[in-house]
Amino acid sequence: MASTIPTAPTRPRTLVVASAFGTGSVLMYFGGLFALYFSIRADAMAWGTQWYPEGAIQLVPGGMNMATLAMSVITMCWAVHAVLNDDRVHAMIAMTLTAVLGIAMVNQTVFYFMDIGLPIDASEAATLLFTIVGSHLVMVVVGVLWLSMLLLRTLGGQDTSRDRDLVSAAALYWYAAVAVYSVIWVGIYIAK
Amino acid sequence: MTTTDTAAASDSSATALEEAVTSTDPRTLSRVWGFGGMTSILLGAVAALLVGLERLDLRSANVFSSADQVFQFWSAHRVALVLLGVLPALMALSTTVVPRQCGGSLVFPRAAALACWTWLIGAGMTIVGFLVDGGLGTPGGAGQRQATALTLMGLLLVVGGLVLASICVMTTIVSGRAAGTGLRDLPFTAWTTLVAATVWTGMLPVLAANAVLAYVDLRGRPAVRFGAEDAIWEQVSWMFTHPAVYVLALPVLGIALDVVASTTRTTQANRDVLLVATAAFGFLSFGAFAQTFFDTPGTPIREEALSVVAAFAIVPVALAIFGGLADTLRRGASNLGSKPPPETVLSMLAVLLIVVGTVVGALHVIAPLDLLGTAVEGANFTLVVGAAVLGVGAGLHHWGDEIVGPGGRPGLFLLGGLAIALGVAVSGVTDLFSGQLGQADFTGVSLAAAGYPDSGVDGLNLVSMIGSLAVLGGLAAWMLAGILHMVTAQNAREATVQEKGAA
Repeated sequence: MASTIPTAPTRPRTLVVASAFGTGSVLMYFGGLFALYFSIRADAMAWGTQWYPEGAIQLVPGGMNMATLAMSVITMCWAVHAVLNDDRVHAMIAMTLTAVLGIAMVNQTVFYFMDIGLPIDASEAATLLFTIVGSHLVMVVVGVLWLSMLLLRTLGGQDTSRDRDLVSAAALYWYAAVAVYSVIWVGIYIAK
Repeated sequence: MTTTDTAAASDSSATALEEAVTSTDPRTLSRVWGFGGMTSILLGAVAALLVGLERLDLRSANVFSSADQVFQFWSAHRVALVLLGVLPALMALSTTVVPRQCGGSLVFPRAAALACWTWLIGAGMTIVGFLVDGGLGTPGGAGQRQATALTLMGLLLVVGGLVLASICVMTTIVSGRAAGTGLRDLPFTAWTTLVAATVWTGMLPVLAANAVLAYVDLRGRPAVRFGAEDAIWEQVSWMFTHPAVYVLALPVLGIALDVVASTTRTTQANRDVLLVATAAFGFLSFGAFAQTFFDTPGTPIREEALSVVAAFAIVPVALAIFGGLADTLRRGASNLGSKPPPETVLSMLAVLLIVVGTVVGALHVIAPLDLLGTAVEGANFTLVVGAAVLGVGAGLHHWGDEIVGPGGRPGLFLLGGLAIALGVAVSGVTDLFSGQLGQADFTGVSLAAAGYPDSGVDGLNLVSMIGSLAVLGGLAAWMLAGILHMVTAQNAREATVQEKGAA
């Protein structure tokens, strides 16, 4: 008889909406930093000033990080899909893999910046580089913590197709983190 | 109320402070936002008065010991009014009135409580930072670096709190409103809060990016550029000038539209036009792009087409909203009686001041007049932020019974509001003229820093200072009215409890 009861109009999912607003403000934060970075870089280039010292920025670490995060997008999609299908085992595997890939990215970045030979106060470019990459590391660490919490919920059987908002919200945030890194990769590591 | 609150409420040993700190009740949070915001506005007005006293003699330092100290108070006045004052006071209405207008309750009450306390702690750190010789840098570089770092950290917490609170409010409007209620059906306060909060969550993170960059450069070693004492304020000053300050006025437009419609018992004609106009006002208020510190040499952002067009485009939009408001008042004037409610009078004055503020903002970008960097910028700030204070006060009075309880003081409130409106108008108009006579926005303590203005500015600065005094007096009257209101409401609550106990 349930089909005869009119269903009340539903609102968009609260957690996902809030996550979209929160992620939007994080993107605006990075948008501000990128705008400053590219604006100052364009001025420096126009004046013929050296932006980074020759060989200071290596392409390989940035490329490896990009590849790592690109893989994490796939595993995150896998996690969302698994939760939608109430596949708890696959959801746990996918979330664990995503978190591990995030940790790997943090590890690679920290290792590279310990070895970079470009002090933070070397120039405006170095200060901006450390600020942008450091902020992104914080973003990824928050994402990893969020995924760890989700993993605990999944272990407890709380992330299901009927109650999947937190996973969708985390996925949205994670995709944004990868999108931000793709700008870092192209704008800083490749364009230098 | 959450389970935690219910448990806390049932515990009779909980003090008022414990209840305030642990509560996630939107009304309690609203009182913290409102009282904290209005206190900061009062402090900002005191700082403005001291700077006004210093401006009476442009040739030397009289009230303060150096130009750097004047600068600290001058910048503290702007920060206190915008980030510690008007925005939090607007949050007081957003956390209680807006959810009710949407037919729901505030979503994520714990996050809203976290936002409120994060803001309060950040506001405390920011004020302490300014008082211990820090602030957001100084032109002479004589401030304490550690104190400047403390101010920046405080500013980041303030921004974090405001963004989180904005997200809670926006989610409440978008996702938590009653089923069947479309965005077009929302009352204007809720609608303009949604638009304004969208702009806040777009602009405040950019301000945070500026602050983080300055903080990273400031700490531990000589600054490269961004953390230099004489460079920090210019990087964040865009938040406290045209066009970003207009976004403070946006919810005030919504408050005025709702207050006038409610007190005249008349609905607005052309409602859809007003919805579009208020959204356009918000769109034109986005000011994160206008960062003069990062100007490319030869092409200052304030003289770019985008800035100039935005400054002019907002004038007809503000006029259209004022027209809609005046039309509603005209059609419902017969319902007001012989003594119109104070909130109606003050909200109309607030919108009028906003219109004047947008006109001044458009004037100051006309290149041949050469008014950029002059006191005309200060006039624009005074008019718009003063109008926002007036409008927020009108809103807090209108919905005061809902937030605090019964016991408002309309007479004292009207008196204070009229003093504020008069003071803002006097200060704004005199600064407009002194700017045209060549006086700089920040005058420092020498004629050179003041821009070698014409002789007439001395008299104008005196009148402007009297205007600041009127604003301060009005705010003091409001604080008194607010405290009396809270005491009366508290006594009424206790009397009710005793009556229930006796029964």
